[in-house]
Amino acid sequence: MEIVKRPHVENFIEWSKDKPEVVVLTADLTNSSEVGKWRDTYPDRFFPMKMAEQNMMSFAAGLAREGYTPFIHTFAVFIYRRPYDQLAMSIAYPKLPVRFVAFLPGIATPGGVTHQAIEDVAIMRATPNMTVLETGDATEVESVLDVAHSVDGPVYIRMLRGEVPRLFPKAEPMRLDEVRVLSEGDDVTVLTAGITTEEAVRAAAPLAAAGVGMKHLHVSTHKPFGDPVVLDAILGARHGVITLENHTIIGGLGSAVAELMAENAIGKKLVRLGLQDTYAHGASQAYLMKEYGLDAPALVRAVEKLTGRATGITEPDLDAVRIEAVHSLAKAEAL
Amino acid sequence: MANKKTVDLVEEKAALMRRDVIEMGYAAGGRGAHFGPALSSIEIVAGLFFGIMNHDPKNPTMADRDRFVQSKGHACLAYYAALTETGYITREQMYTFKGDNSFLAGHPTRNMKYGIEVTSGSLGNGFAVACGMAKAAKIKSDDHKVYCLVGDGECNEGIIWEAAMNAAKYELDNLIAIVDRNGVQLAGTTKDIMDVDIEALWRAAGWDVVVVEGGNDASSVLEALQGMRDSSSGKPHVIIANTTKGKGISFMEGSLGWHARPMPQEFYEQAVAELENA
Ligand SMILES: Cc1ncc(C[n+]2csc(CCOP(=O)(O)OP(=O)(O)O)c2C)c(N)n1
Repeated sequence: MEIVKRPHVENFIEWSKDKPEVVVLTADLTNSSEVGKWRDTYPDRFFPMKMAEQNMMSFAAGLAREGYTPFIHTFAVFIYRRPYDQLAMSIAYPKLPVRFVAFLPGIATPGGVTHQAIEDVAIMRATPNMTVLETGDATEVESVLDVAHSVDGPVYIRMLRGEVPRLFPKAEPMRLDEVRVLSEGDDVTVLTAGITTEEAVRAAAPLAAAGVGMKHLHVSTHKPFGDPVVLDAILGARHGVITLENHTIIGGLGSAVAELMAENAIGKKLVRLGLQDTYAHGASQAYLMKEYGLDAPALVRAVEKLTGRATGITEPDLDAVRIEAVHSLAKAEAL
Repeated sequence: MANKKTVDLVEEKAALMRRDVIEMGYAAGGRGAHFGPALSSIEIVAGLFFGIMNHDPKNPTMADRDRFVQSKGHACLAYYAALTETGYITREQMYTFKGDNSFLAGHPTRNMKYGIEVTSGSLGNGFAVACGMAKAAKIKSDDHKVYCLVGDGECNEGIIWEAAMNAAKYELDNLIAIVDRNGVQLAGTTKDIMDVDIEALWRAAGWDVVVVEGGNDASSVLEALQGMRDSSSGKPHVIIANTTKGKGISFMEGSLGWHARPMPQEFYEQAVAELENA
């Protein structure tokens, strides 16, 4: 698998070239948000907002009201927790075109509870006028900018940084409210987003070999959530549906699927894998994914339970985990 | 003047704590650690734990203990070093820093069994929590003090000033904040990022302010802390300590790059050599 080092850095610089309305704001997390080189390239369009997130939101709203398109870059937690009121009232309510580039989604950080954005999708989905996107690979990191730019209103993006795998061909960019079908099967339908997609991919071949048909959908738009492919896949799942998300199971992907099923009177079982209404602690991503049941083995166990069929799959049968170096030169700091 | 024996003790412990910081950060391997932020605050933290605070490592929940809140939570290595040298945690536990199963996370996570008073790392919040703890002591007529370590970059946050004004209104003279003014934050120097006169701001908020030039000098730090501890001016107190980010390791001093990062072996060896020859 191709691993791309910091795909956002050069791509964002190139993309911004002919868009003078695009400005960047950060709150003392410049290299950590992969915009150090962007700042050096477009110093007049870069605004360091010191470590003051609330002001950054309303200030961005002021810029947006006068025709600029602010791209706010910082860690996810510092976007939707402290400055939520400013985000909602100054930006979301007037439907301003501010883009939130939110790094370290979910448990993708050993930084501990203060740095783990585990309820951001829930809060952003619940925010009227907000579009909610999540990147799952390098191709999506590169193409999410066009998707966001096509939206007339605020957009929240769960972003990946550092060493990012390329799971999807460059020629198949992210599209608004379109899922990707990564495997076909009619026993269970599995929906994943962000870093959990790789986990379901790891499980795909062994499940197929064990005779279990898994239809695997990769979701990159949490809101709107209207792709008819999702409904079809749910209808076609003999035993039920599983969601696997790097987030609390309340309010995120699992909830979106539950709402869709209930509204369409689909009486099937739904299993939501993710953080079970708990905060996490600080540890490596691989360790936390195992501990909280967000990894491939957890998915296999859930498939077995749902289908009532033992697959005989053990950990060594699963494709090797791609352990990202927690720190590499590709990352600004080890968080 | 601070008593000579106490100064000697704090200096001795500060040296041990610097070594602990390097050892823990190195042991964290690729996960890296916040070296610079911990090293600038060593004399302040050592001064509190070995010269100023009433506390008992054998009884971390002792009702009349002085409280320590490390609002600049990313500098947890200094805190963990103090907990090790005072005996709240063992050396073995110290080495689990940032490990998968460790309670010593990359930012302090409340754990009263081991003397970790408040979860911090989302900067600004710890300071406001400390203000609430000081008010609680006032309500209950308790005599203990609340000490809170704040970063100078952290003073960018609005909540710092909301809390500061509030603390003055409640006349929390049992509250002593120490601003670790090392002049460097994450993305640049404090001056470049937002050049403000924080002394004037703290004064305007209604605080007693003292500036310590030698924020990495045990004697100066102790003297300021004692003065603030023993004053009951009716105002909350802040010590603005001028320190050096990464103090004690030549290649970390004043460096942006050593705010947080892993420590390769050659740097570790150089750091240890410098500490041993200090
Ligand atoms: C609310 C919040 N915003 C941003 C960050 C990211 N961050 C961690 S440390 C840091 C800089 C801290 O600078 P300072 O307070 O001067 O402390 P120093 O590292 O110099 O000791 C930043 C911006 C954070 N932890 N919390």
